Amino acid sequence: MQEDFHYYATYCAAFLAGFTHEEALDICYSAQFVDLCSRTLLLKIGAPQNAATTQLSLEMMDAGTDIVGLQDITRIWASFHFLPKDLYAKKAKRTKRYMDRYRLICGPNGELLKKTVELAKGHGLQHAGIAMHVLADTWAHSNFAGTPTLVINNTDEHFYEFREAACDGEKGNAGMGQDTDSDGTWVKIKFRHSPSEPDDVEKGLYSNSLFQGNEISIMNLGHGRAGHFPDYSFAKYKYLPAWGEYHELIKDNPWDYRKAFSQMVYAMKYLKGSIDSFETERYEEAVLEKYGDRIDRILRKRQINACSDWKEFGEELSGQEIPDFDVEKYQDEYSKAGKDEKENTFIGRFIKGALAQKGMVTGEIFKSGNMIAGFSKALPKGKLFIQNFFK
Amino acid sequence: MTKFQRLKRILFGILMIIVAAVMMEYADKSYMAILVFIGWGFMVSGIGSMFYYFNMARFMVGGRRALYIGVILMDFGIITMSLSDVPGMYVLLYLAILHAFTGVIEILRARETMKNGSKHFKLKLSHGIIDVVLAILCIIFLKDTKLAVYIYSFGLVYSGIMYVISGFRRTAMLQYIP
Repeated sequence: MQEDFHYYATYCAAFLAGFTHEEALDICYSAQFVDLCSRTLLLKIGAPQNAATTQLSLEMMDAGTDIVGLQDITRIWASFHFLPKDLYAKKAKRTKRYMDRYRLICGPNGELLKKTVELAKGHGLQHAGIAMHVLADTWAHSNFAGTPTLVINNTDEHFYEFREAACDGEKGNAGMGQDTDSDGTWVKIKFRHSPSEPDDVEKGLYSNSLFQGNEISIMNLGHGRAGHFPDYSFAKYKYLPAWGEYHELIKDNPWDYRKAFSQMVYAMKYLKGSIDSFETERYEEAVLEKYGDRIDRILRKRQINACSDWKEFGEELSGQEIPDFDVEKYQDEYSKAGKDEKENTFIGRFIKGALAQKGMVTGEIFKSGNMIAGFSKALPKGKLFIQNFFK
Repeated sequence: MTKFQRLKRILFGILMIIVAAVMMEYADKSYMAILVFIGWGFMVSGIGSMFYYFNMARFMVGGRRALYIGVILMDFGIITMSLSDVPGMYVLLYLAILHAFTGVIEILRARETMKNGSKHFKLKLSHGIIDVVLAILCIIFLKDTKLAVYIYSFGLVYSGIMYVISGFRRTAMLQYIP
């Protein structure tokens, strides 16, 4: 997902869950910050690089795909952007090497999602924001794995986008998620490999990562082979996933994003304390009943960036202005704070949440017998101080 | 690239230059050494590709590609190593054709990169053209096996230098990161 959903839509969901305007801003800032908190940024402000929640393209360029490099990549991407759905999935007649990758396939409503949300409970707004980023991405990035793997993440020329017949971006089959062929056509997508040119959704020009026959090429990380389609809320598309045994998979982003939004509201109600437990496969239906049409209009509008629409919706809800996301907003606070004070800064609390999330996911992957994210060791609770990660 | 990867490229480039020098020194017999290297190279790649197929790619949509590549590479390896009884001229012809084929593939890849709007095709294109030109020169001077070896060695030196340069170069931008 992109800034429109991670920042503005998360703000809307947080406000609807009962958080105040200021609290919602902290949550949505943290949710968006997950996409920007790279080693380069952490190095710049003197923060532990182990807390990185993403990797920049330059960092990926330098990252080796030897065994240690692969583990590092997997820890970041599987923990924050491609949360595995079922680490104990079974599939007949597969080698262990294959299943280690298969079990990292991301999807919503997995056991790890429950652990992610529960881990954030009582640990501040920043950790809540991280959990919301992870939750939202389980819907957008489903069916791809957060590790470089050709046999899971590859796509081929069988890739089609559903274009609605009455191309009115304001309307759509609100909430039905079951467009029939009479409502539009499936248009074959021919990807180009031109990173400097942005996608043109009107002309149907999209970029994806180059095919690389090497299993562990960086090009085979996540949803690169599907381009930006998973991150476009309006997109409905079908393709043959590499793991899918030639069964066509239809991904309906408007439907999934709608579910993601309502699940975020439900999760944040739990984090706020309004409800006692968080269960998977549960959503805040009341929000959809009241605002479903409005949300659908935003999701189904054919545009690369829906920030302005979500912002408008959020400001209508709260009656307050939502500032634009500024990545440098809290950096000075952190870098100027004394060693003992860093933990209590905004970014300090974010780092704590990120380390906890990364540790939890890596630990669960390791516990399942999968070495793809490397070894994991549980630290006693009292040892989880930021200072320890400088050692 | 990590420092280790850069070092590997530089060392490999230097090794290629050394091999070229040795070949030029022992030009009469060195084409047999080339056969062994290339043959084993193909065999190892082919076996690796087939192992990957049976281990992983057979469960993947379009995974048979890995099997076909593996079988073809292995066949090339076996053919290459079986040429030891053939007069040197034909061995050199085979090597030249192989080189030309590699060059053509490089040119096609460069064209595809150019067509897709990327600017990072010039080095690949020049490499491909040089490969083809060297192959043609090899064929023209085939009867003079010594000269053909010198031409082939020149190609190795050029490739070696390219590897060394690429070890120092800032690597190209990745095309898409999710």
